[in-house]
Amino acid sequence: MAEADLALLLTALAMLALRAAGLLVAGALRPDHPFILWASAVSQAVLAGFVALAIAVPGGLAATVPLPARLAGLAAGLLAFAALRGRLLPALGAGLAALLGVRAVLGG
Amino acid sequence: MSPPAPPPFLTALRPGAAVAFGAPAIAMGATFLAFGAAVREAGLGLGWALGASLLVYGMAGQLVLLAFAAPGVAAGGIAPAVLGATAANARFLPMAVALAPWLDGRPEGWRRWLALPFIAITPWAAAMRVLPALAPPARLPWFLGFALVSWGGAGLATVAGHLLAPLLDRGLLAALLFANPLYFALLLAAELRAVAPRRAILAGILAAPLALLLPPAWGLLATGVLGGTAAFLIGQMGARQRGRG
Repeated sequence: MAEADLALLLTALAMLALRAAGLLVAGALRPDHPFILWASAVSQAVLAGFVALAIAVPGGLAATVPLPARLAGLAAGLLAFAALRGRLLPALGAGLAALLGVRAVLGG
Repeated sequence: MSPPAPPPFLTALRPGAAVAFGAPAIAMGATFLAFGAAVREAGLGLGWALGASLLVYGMAGQLVLLAFAAPGVAAGGIAPAVLGATAANARFLPMAVALAPWLDGRPEGWRRWLALPFIAITPWAAAMRVLPALAPPARLPWFLGFALVSWGGAGLATVAGHLLAPLLDRGLLAALLFANPLYFALLLAAELRAVAPRRAILAGILAAPLALLLPPAWGLLATGVLGGTAAFLIGQMGARQRGRG
């Protein structure tokens, strides 16, 4: 088996274990149990950190998009989301359009 | 008169599936398309790309795995690839914990295990928004309907990205990679109205710069645990003070 295949197989098993451990631990607890509240806070903080880092300091191919274009995309998406009272799809479209537009202006 | 028969299971999947076809499908489709193309550029096959998308099914971990496993880079060995990808996706554990009580309230309930392969950011975030407002019997079918559409869509987009990679413009792919963080930013914005999520989200953003000081694979999890725990403790202290006052 090639190294890449073995790495994929082992990672897939690790993912199953992570998900199973969560279900196993929490299945018996009520949604307002302190452990559940803690896990929710950690999950939300991880997601918020992921978004902040993906916008501010992306890696790989994404890093070729200039920072002003990334910030414009985020700002336009959030503004459209607020203006359209929480409609996800048009807000997503507005954000990506702003990103592409600013990048085109900057010549990136 | 006897009560009406419960709807067949497949019918119960529909509401969640319908929601998944909108913005979530676009956001995930764009990211997984870009991933499929990146796998091909790295010199790995379609089967590997599809396996990573469907079995790992968490983009941060997939990207770490690809970075370490690509031919030429693999000299680093298997352990850093597996450990790095697992750390980058370790959020699955707290997410499964937070989600489990909404899937099946009964301790002996086995049905929640049907959700096992699909616990990832997108279905989790959608479920945490929707499930609390649904009647308990409708919750698991809603989640499974949503999850099956997103999971299948992620697989199809990966295949498309791998097959179409030579035709896709790199500038477009780079832009597509932003659909996912942008989509998550919108989901988080919707959560800001409630106090506890707002506190956790702000703490996560404030802690994020710390990730730059740590190894890439561990940074995100470490800052999330730090920010999330701080937000949780502040919330508990506030609740205690209100209880006394």
